[in-house]
Amino acid sequence: MPRQEPWLRSMVDFYATMMRTQLLMQFQYRAATYMYTLGMVAEPTIYLVVWSSIARSHGGTVNGLTPQAFAAYYIVWTLVRTMNIVFTPYGWEERIREGQLSAGLLRPLHPIHFDLAMFAGQKLVWILMYLPIAVGLSLVFHPALHPGTVQILVFLVAIWGAYLIRSMNLWILGMVSIWTTRASAIFQTYVLTELLLSGRLVPLTLMPHWAQTLAAWLPFKWTFYFPIEVLVGHMSNLSLVGGLGMQLLWTAIGASVVAGAWRLSVRHYSAVGN
Amino acid sequence: MRAFGLAWVYLRLGVLNELQYRANFFIAAFQSLLSVALGLVVLALVYSHTTTLNGWTESELLVIVGVQILLGGVIHSTIQPNMQRLVDEVRDGKLDLLLTKPEDAQALVSLREVQIWQAVDVISGAAVVVVGAARIAHGVGVVGAIAFVALLGFGALLLYCFWLILATGSFWVVNMGYLAELFEGIYQTGRWPIGIYPGWLRYSMTYLVPIGFAVTVPAQVLTGRLHWPTVVVALCFGAALTGLTRVFWRVGLRRYSGASA
Amino acid sequence: MLRRVPGVVHVSELTKIFRVPEREGGMNAALRSLVKRQWRDVHAVERISFDIDAGEVVGFLGPNGAGKTTTLKMLSGLLYPTSGEGTVLGHVPSKRERDYLRRMTLVMGNRNQLQWDLPALDSFELNRAIYRLPREDFRKTRDELIGLLDVGDLVRKPVRQLSLGERMKVEIVGSLLHLPQVLFLDEPTIGLDVTMQRRLRVFIAEYNQRYGATVLLTSHYMADVEALCKRVIVIHHGQILFDGQLDALADRFTTTKTIKAVLADGEQVTLTVPRAETSKTTAQLLAEHEVHDLTVEDPPIEDVIEQVFAS
Repeated sequence: MPRQEPWLRSMVDFYATMMRTQLLMQFQYRAATYMYTLGMVAEPTIYLVVWSSIARSHGGTVNGLTPQAFAAYYIVWTLVRTMNIVFTPYGWEERIREGQLSAGLLRPLHPIHFDLAMFAGQKLVWILMYLPIAVGLSLVFHPALHPGTVQILVFLVAIWGAYLIRSMNLWILGMVSIWTTRASAIFQTYVLTELLLSGRLVPLTLMPHWAQTLAAWLPFKWTFYFPIEVLVGHMSNLSLVGGLGMQLLWTAIGASVVAGAWRLSVRHYSAVGN
Repeated sequence: MRAFGLAWVYLRLGVLNELQYRANFFIAAFQSLLSVALGLVVLALVYSHTTTLNGWTESELLVIVGVQILLGGVIHSTIQPNMQRLVDEVRDGKLDLLLTKPEDAQALVSLREVQIWQAVDVISGAAVVVVGAARIAHGVGVVGAIAFVALLGFGALLLYCFWLILATGSFWVVNMGYLAELFEGIYQTGRWPIGIYPGWLRYSMTYLVPIGFAVTVPAQVLTGRLHWPTVVVALCFGAALTGLTRVFWRVGLRRYSGASA
Repeated sequence: MLRRVPGVVHVSELTKIFRVPEREGGMNAALRSLVKRQWRDVHAVERISFDIDAGEVVGFLGPNGAGKTTTLKMLSGLLYPTSGEGTVLGHVPSKRERDYLRRMTLVMGNRNQLQWDLPALDSFELNRAIYRLPREDFRKTRDELIGLLDVGDLVRKPVRQLSLGERMKVEIVGSLLHLPQVLFLDEPTIGLDVTMQRRLRVFIAEYNQRYGATVLLTSHYMADVEALCKRVIVIHHGQILFDGQLDALADRFTTTKTIKAVLADGEQVTLTVPRAETSKTTAQLLAEHEVHDLTVEDPPIEDVIEQVFAS
């Protein structure tokens, strides 16, 4: 057997190389990224305007949230939303069709690392592009945003926690494409549920109580509402750390499901192949 | 007009094509239901915290949501597939094949793709509109209904012009990759009365991206808010936009043909 | 019976049966198929057996659908066999053990394994990390391979900007960086021009010489097989028709020989005669005409193969 580098060293090398190359590539495709960002900003702006409008016609607040609080929520939302964008089941269908899944099976590395590393690299660019957008939106909507140091630090970790949870979840949904060509229907149901229960549509405190209880038991809240609240809310240090712990828990759960489902899916795929 | 004949031919082709994939119907129906469900849930949520939004009641807003879904169905089944294909072909240099045909190029690029199953949204959107309109205190007369449909068609025309202008941009900027997503994001603004948006945003949404005219104006017919001046302005704007689109298209086409010669 | 020492590849009664849905055309059939699915068994590979030793370059010949690619996929771990056994380097491929994956490679013509938008060099770096190759060894191998295939100026360009032939060369470099001991090459020269095909063949032969790697090559270009493989396995309808030396192929399958002669007036003559009559016909030709050049050959391998598959 030829000599091998230690596993950890290779993994770090892999992630570093992938992220570096993605960084360079994203800079190349600046125009397309800007266009995408523009379309993406429309969503939180709409929510923001709608809720501010309601707040203003009701004596200034909705459930204790002022237009400025909404502004803060939805401006931070934009960055968190970016961190949530990962490989979709639609991409999986293409990947299977083009034979890239087979190519991945020939390599001695779990294919999930490709996706994790590739998107992580892209995120770095997107975070940089987010800052001027945030500034622009702040000038228009005057958010109430005064985070402390601890909050900022926890936030920087929490956005990656969100990224990991969503990566795991969507990988599971993606693997469904190995079993059926109708994975898109399942995916769309997932997106709808997530939209309502993650804090993407509205801060969870505005949802009816039964929805909030439901959200507490699901992973969605930790990909959206939690990271945003870390920065714009007033959580105690204990709940900040507790929240990070929950993100870790949901990531671990997701990872175990991925591991088990992957084994089954590879077996299914290898029975038929491409 | 020649264009209508062409449209009919492509429609038949598209339908025959898609009939092969029956499962697509169920998928499209499912998607449509999800989209309607989402719209209703959001409305319910908003109206659990208020009774009017910018003067619009829940039923009235239901009409707007319905119109937006309906027009969305028109866009996703006829306009968007064509524009997406146009952008792709410009990027890959494959448009030349089309330019050799004896028909008007604009008609061809606009009519050849039909994704008939997406039109399910037209039905569900119409259903939502009917439910909303039924719950509004005063009824809608025959004249109103006709005006509504006419303005819907007009709105579709405006959105088509907008899309074509965007797609024509690809003659200059070759990578218009995220066009669909960009549009979807902006189109969502149409779900709410444009009055809630701050001034400059409202004007952009009316004149720059004619969603205001396309969605809110037909809805205004059914909710009894339409004023004649608005209709006149809308029609003039529409005529101007159609003309501008045509001119822009010709310019872009000349550039493309010249460039690849 | 003496048990053979297991070589690199050991295949015994390997079988692969696919269940495919049966679908006819027409509206009625489409409607029916919604309610009840019809299935059909396709025997892609039917009880094949062979052994390959270290350093051999073996060609798999067969028309499309013969089972060549299916066999390769089973040996590389992408497909589970329906029955029978196959081991490579002592590993069961479908287990996809890391150790196995590090010692083999599968290259499929027309399929990309390198990152599309990146320069090949970057993809090589990724492969270095994936296969855990120490930097020094990696660099040495990489530069060697780049030199052998003469792709020095291509590796800095994004892969999508390369032509088909250039892409193939670069893909091959990428797939050999970890110096695999077993190479599965599935139609590697497909779609390439003649010069490129020749280049690739020379390279594969070099690699085999230099590193003692075992090569399984499928192709329907006879030239590939003739240039590289002493041993050939002919597959048709999932079954092995022939397994042996290339020059013995003609003997086994043809009953004719080809006599080529150039006569005094410049006329070129080609005669196809039954084997038994070869010397008689040759003698007759020489007696009755003035002959300036004469060769007696097996019919071209292509014709042999064509005959085999036609039967």
